[in-house]
Amino acid sequence: MDQSFINVHEELIDRCRGGDRQAHYDLYKLYAKAMYNVGYRITRSEEDAQDVLQEAFVNAFRNLASYRGDATFGAWLKRIVVNKALNVIQKRKHDPIPDDDRWDVAEEDVTIDYADELTVDRVKRAINDLPDGYRTVLSLYLLEGYDHQEIAEIMCISESTSKSQLNRAKNRLREVLGERKIS
Amino acid sequence: MKDRLEEFVKKNRAAFDDQEPPTGLWTNIENDLKLAPRQSWWNTLAVWRAAAILFMALSVGLFFWRSAPPVKKVDRVAMREFNDVEAFYTKQISEKVELIDDLKAPEGEEGFTQDFQQLEAMYQVLKEEMRTRPTQKVKDALVLNLLVRIDLLNQQLHRLEQSDKAAAKKEAAKGSSV
Repeated sequence: MDQSFINVHEELIDRCRGGDRQAHYDLYKLYAKAMYNVGYRITRSEEDAQDVLQEAFVNAFRNLASYRGDATFGAWLKRIVVNKALNVIQKRKHDPIPDDDRWDVAEEDVTIDYADELTVDRVKRAINDLPDGYRTVLSLYLLEGYDHQEIAEIMCISESTSKSQLNRAKNRLREVLGERKIS
Repeated sequence: MKDRLEEFVKKNRAAFDDQEPPTGLWTNIENDLKLAPRQSWWNTLAVWRAAAILFMALSVGLFFWRSAPPVKKVDRVAMREFNDVEAFYTKQISEKVELIDDLKAPEGEEGFTQDFQQLEAMYQVLKEEMRTRPTQKVKDALVLNLLVRIDLLNQQLHRLEQSDKAAAKKEAAKGSSV
């Protein structure tokens, strides 16, 4: 990976390590909004998302010594946020993820048309209405950009479970958003 | 396989991050972290490294823009004064270098080390110049070099002490949590 890309905030991070308060704030401003949304998508609660954001930043800043720069700072921070958000919903114990392949659902090989126009608002609401398991896998895959291997690691499920959960989530979304199969 | 959903999300990715964290959240983080009070701008390592670079540029300029013929005879008293000053500062410098070694500098210190080594090299060159063509300018440059090095070392020491404190705090916190 390009060294300069990974260390784009190297100076800022070094200043944080030196205890520079302004540097901490600057780094916070760079990532707060994006990370807040990561937590909010998973927890669906403003209060929980705020707690997650606060704890994640405090955790990250306290452990800057262990940040080696082998992943981007944003990616490293995002993992912390995702883990904390997952802890929150797992404590709620609503929808446990089935970790088996019996209900494997493969991706359908058809072209999907959406009866009504897709809008960001409709898609957001549809994702928000998904049960925890589907919503989490779908968010992590579609919005946070993780691949199935990473999702499996993060959620302690198998890669194939991740894939089937994603397909089921997408199918559910298609139902909600009004799909019409062509060909 | 055409996946309009994935395409749509990718295209409108930014719009999915519509939530804003509350403005008071940073204050909570600050309080949890208990950061040291604001450092004065002129106290940051970056500024002193810049000063070091400026000094080096000035020293280079000194060589290229020598105009007046060199004065062979430098006042004996002034020379003695300079030797005393040099002895005092070089002692300070070696003490601080030892301190820094003791604090086991963490990775990522290349910038600092490079600057310091370049300053040392410049100093040797200036000393040689002082021996063959002593002038007030060279003497001033030598003293400035020493002062800049000491300030650089002080900054580095301060930084190391800070991160040492932070690490010690972290260890203590680890030990006390279940």
